[in-house]
Amino acid sequence: MQLTKFNYDNKIVRNFGIATIVWGIVGMSVGLLIAIQLVWPFMNFELQYTTFGRVRPLHTNAVIFAFVGNAIFMGVYYSLQRLLKARMYSDFLSRVHFWGWQLIILAAAITLPLGLTTSHEYAELEWPIDIGLTIIWVVFGINMFGTIIKRRERHMYVAIWFYIATFVTVAVLHIVNSVQLPVSMWKSYYLYAGVQDALVQWWYGHNAVAFFLTTPYLGMMYYFLPKMANRPIYSYKLSILHFWSLIFIYIWAGPHHLLYTSLPGWVQSLGVAFSVMLIAPSWGGMINGLLTLRGAWDKVRTDPTLKFMVVALTAYGMATFEGPMLSLKQVNAIAHFTDWIVAHVHVGALGWNGFMTFAILYWLIPRIYKTELYSKKLASAHFWIGTLGILFYAIPMYWAAVVQGLMWKEFTPEGVLKYPNFLATTLQIIPMHLLRAIGGTLYLSGVILMTYNLVKTMRQGRLLANEPAEAPELVPVVVNERAPHRRLERKPILFMALALITILIGGMVQMMPTFMISSNVPTIASVQPYTALELQGRDLYIREGCVNCHTQTVRPFRSETVRYGDYSKAGEFVYDHPFLWGSKRTGPDLHRIGKKYPHKWHFDHMLDPTITSPGSIMPPYPWLIEQRLDTAATKAKLNAMRLLGVPYTDADINAANADLREQAEGIATDLSQQGVDVRADREIIALIAYLQRLGTDINVPVGTATNE
Amino acid sequence: MFKQITDLSGNEWYLIASLWIFLVFFIAVGIMLFRMPKEDVNYMKGLPVDEAEKPNDDLTN
Repeated sequence: MQLTKFNYDNKIVRNFGIATIVWGIVGMSVGLLIAIQLVWPFMNFELQYTTFGRVRPLHTNAVIFAFVGNAIFMGVYYSLQRLLKARMYSDFLSRVHFWGWQLIILAAAITLPLGLTTSHEYAELEWPIDIGLTIIWVVFGINMFGTIIKRRERHMYVAIWFYIATFVTVAVLHIVNSVQLPVSMWKSYYLYAGVQDALVQWWYGHNAVAFFLTTPYLGMMYYFLPKMANRPIYSYKLSILHFWSLIFIYIWAGPHHLLYTSLPGWVQSLGVAFSVMLIAPSWGGMINGLLTLRGAWDKVRTDPTLKFMVVALTAYGMATFEGPMLSLKQVNAIAHFTDWIVAHVHVGALGWNGFMTFAILYWLIPRIYKTELYSKKLASAHFWIGTLGILFYAIPMYWAAVVQGLMWKEFTPEGVLKYPNFLATTLQIIPMHLLRAIGGTLYLSGVILMTYNLVKTMRQGRLLANEPAEAPELVPVVVNERAPHRRLERKPILFMALALITILIGGMVQMMPTFMISSNVPTIASVQPYTALELQGRDLYIREGCVNCHTQTVRPFRSETVRYGDYSKAGEFVYDHPFLWGSKRTGPDLHRIGKKYPHKWHFDHMLDPTITSPGSIMPPYPWLIEQRLDTAATKAKLNAMRLLGVPYTDADINAANADLREQAEGIATDLSQQGVDVRADREIIALIAYLQRLGTDINVPVGTATNE
Repeated sequence: MFKQITDLSGNEWYLIASLWIFLVFFIAVGIMLFRMPKEDVNYMKGLPVDEAEKPNDDLTN
């Protein structure tokens, strides 16, 4: 059989590798900065652009889409070419993909600190960047499928199935979760509201973890682990079962992020059931990986890449056991909104994603530079520093979570909350936050050590940009294969279609009834749309990223209704585009904050939170008092809301700014009577208006609700 | 403990139907696995390890 000569494109692999390292350092440094801010709030340097609420999304986006994203493309571009015995379909598309992805990251790094955010967690980027992301993702897909089509290996190895599932699912998730109505170049509102928006967001959020942080890494595990250990994967059959079960089950589990909220009970129960079932395929993958090292454990002692892989797999096992446990309502009732969730995601991110990325970089860079790793000792040192960093990160966070979660719920024998002041529970866990920052510092130090090691490795070698390879072309000889999966493994388009159907089932079963059966979201007659000023204030709440620390959903527990007020109902959120329920309580829930305190309390609190709450770790927001509220888009905002179904009348829209000014004057006058001299056109007035409205509608008797 | 997935106030069929869908799907994949010839499994297992030496098989698309 005649062999065809061709080259593998190593340059694109190298480029994605360098981007992984650079963005990794950036993303982790930003993470460290915000971790320190939770101990010393002044570390925002009193700038709005470096304040926690704006920078936390920058950290999550940088580590997920920049660090992990580039690592995925590095691994995929390396393994795909070799598993298919073909160069990437188009060098041009590879370059467009690389530079386009870096541009999107840069756009995120600029817009998020400016407060240009949609507020959907892990999907904060505004609509123009969303469109750019879609285009670049399609470019990646064309390049990947083009390579698959022109392959010289008939059957697709399991790693490629995971890449296909990743491509198609991320595309679906991104499109469905990004349906927004633009108001201006950098402002949009989500099509969905309240409960429905929450369901869509956490269907996306959970499956972004599944199909961006998990499935491509499983694909890379199935390729790189056998390469590193020089032995085939333990069980190919298990990998098939693992693949199909995982992608089927994962998609159903999103609602476990919304337990005890006003999401319909049956959707919550589906989320719980499928989350528990998810242990099986997740552990199937982990066991398949660990058992691949059977007989090679002696190598683990000496080979740093395998050390990283073993901890990565162990962290995956821990995180995928912990996830289902957190989904049990009894556990969730205590752990949700606490630092447990932060610890959980970081065991996955630092252990599974981080350590596997490091293993692949240590393995791959010397190979494409045709040299040896500069220092195995430094790599081993990195391993131990990184492992210590994970432990220092996770253990204090678990500790903090248990302490705070129990303090929130503790009652005295007399039947009153033992810690009625939320701040008392926050101050209790500051030492744990400090330890977490030390863990982060250790982890980042390890990455810097790795960077030095890899730079030295690159300098001592020379990049083999085009690596020669040869393989026979596929010949069209007909032999029927009886095994159905065997046939499927050589039909990429059919494979993609089946993967798509598999992931669509769960989402459709959960979403369609929630959207189409009105009894799932009972309306409340007294709930009225926000006034123009309140809507502007809400947008400021979104801009400042308040949702990163404050929830807006009171769960039906005595400990919460006593602390905050009546539990939240689905009908209260029908005009909330987007929903702002949040996922973490660094500060207290705000859904019933409206009219709880006078305007002056809010003014003082935003000027300097320690005035009203001594010891508070919330940063001050003096710029809200200095900056004038931009009212140029008020009418456009109300118009957009009306298009989305909010019942504003023509009169409401035409008089939007006049009404806004009237309400603002009222608040400014009240503040003036309390000795606060602030102009009515400042941003703080709009924010106070919004906060004072929160959760007050259901206290108004039906028929007398007003927007005043 | 399992009240959280049984007390569904009339919406049990969502959960039951969903679990049935998964069960049928899981069994179908399981049957496919049992029917896979061993030599094919071994060939696919070896792909990453000895990717350079593997000849292509001669099946049609």
